[in-house]
Amino acid sequence: MDAQYINPFVVALVNALETMLNITPERGTPYLKKEGQTQGDISAIIGFAGPNVTGSVALSLPTPVALKFYSLMMGEKVYRITNDVQDVVGELANIVAGGAKTELSAQNITFNISIPTVVVGPGHTIGHKGDIPVMVIPFEIGKHRFVLEVTMKLE
Amino acid sequence: MRILVVDDSTTMRRIISNSLRAVGFEDIVEAGDGQQALQVLEGVNLLLTDWNMPNMDGLTLVKTVRGSAATAQLPIIMITSEGARDEVMEALAAGVNDYIVKPFTKEVLGEKVRSIIR
Repeated sequence: MDAQYINPFVVALVNALETMLNITPERGTPYLKKEGQTQGDISAIIGFAGPNVTGSVALSLPTPVALKFYSLMMGEKVYRITNDVQDVVGELANIVAGGAKTELSAQNITFNISIPTVVVGPGHTIGHKGDIPVMVIPFEIGKHRFVLEVTMKLE
Repeated sequence: MRILVVDDSTTMRRIISNSLRAVGFEDIVEAGDGQQALQVLEGVNLLLTDWNMPNMDGLTLVKTVRGSAATAQLPIIMITSEGARDEVMEALAAGVNDYIVKPFTKEVLGEKVRSIIR
């Protein structure tokens, strides 16, 4: 998967975190996901499809990162993953997909995005569409790691 | 100055409402989709709406509001994660007065609202 198609998702995530949460995560080296590999405790997944592309993006966070994002975004602390925490993680994924859509449309890659699906639970796996390779982009905030997963197939 | 905030995300509605209060707008009502918004439109001076929502999306809401003589002149700002040129043009053609792409700061939101109501 070409970096020019992955970068818009990464840029959109960093922009969302910097603008709305006032934090800048440290980006790690991307790698291809192995089958069945699990990531965080809460994941928001958004599918997208257009005339020349299909794919999906998932934001997967460990519980401490999800709670931190919630407290920074809403200005209040929570101590477990509530419906509102799920809503915030879903909204972040929505902003990432929307930002990438905007950027990729300039490369004539156009698509519609779905409403986010949020999955909660330790050890859950994220199912992306078909047999397309999934690129994992790791990030770190403090001692915690979280990931963005992107898969995209150009027709 | 009553502002109606329409978004299917409860937390995003709170973020927008809190941002508006932080920049001096206190009279805020909320709705979870376009259908709910139409039920509480009376007395509203400014409509802020998301695009992608279940039941009735933001674009349909804008067209419905513009199609009614009672609300045809109501100022509308669309706040959405989708900022592609085609989407912006479609929203403007439907009748929105301004367009804010998420993520946004409360300062940008406040400035856009003040600009619309001037």
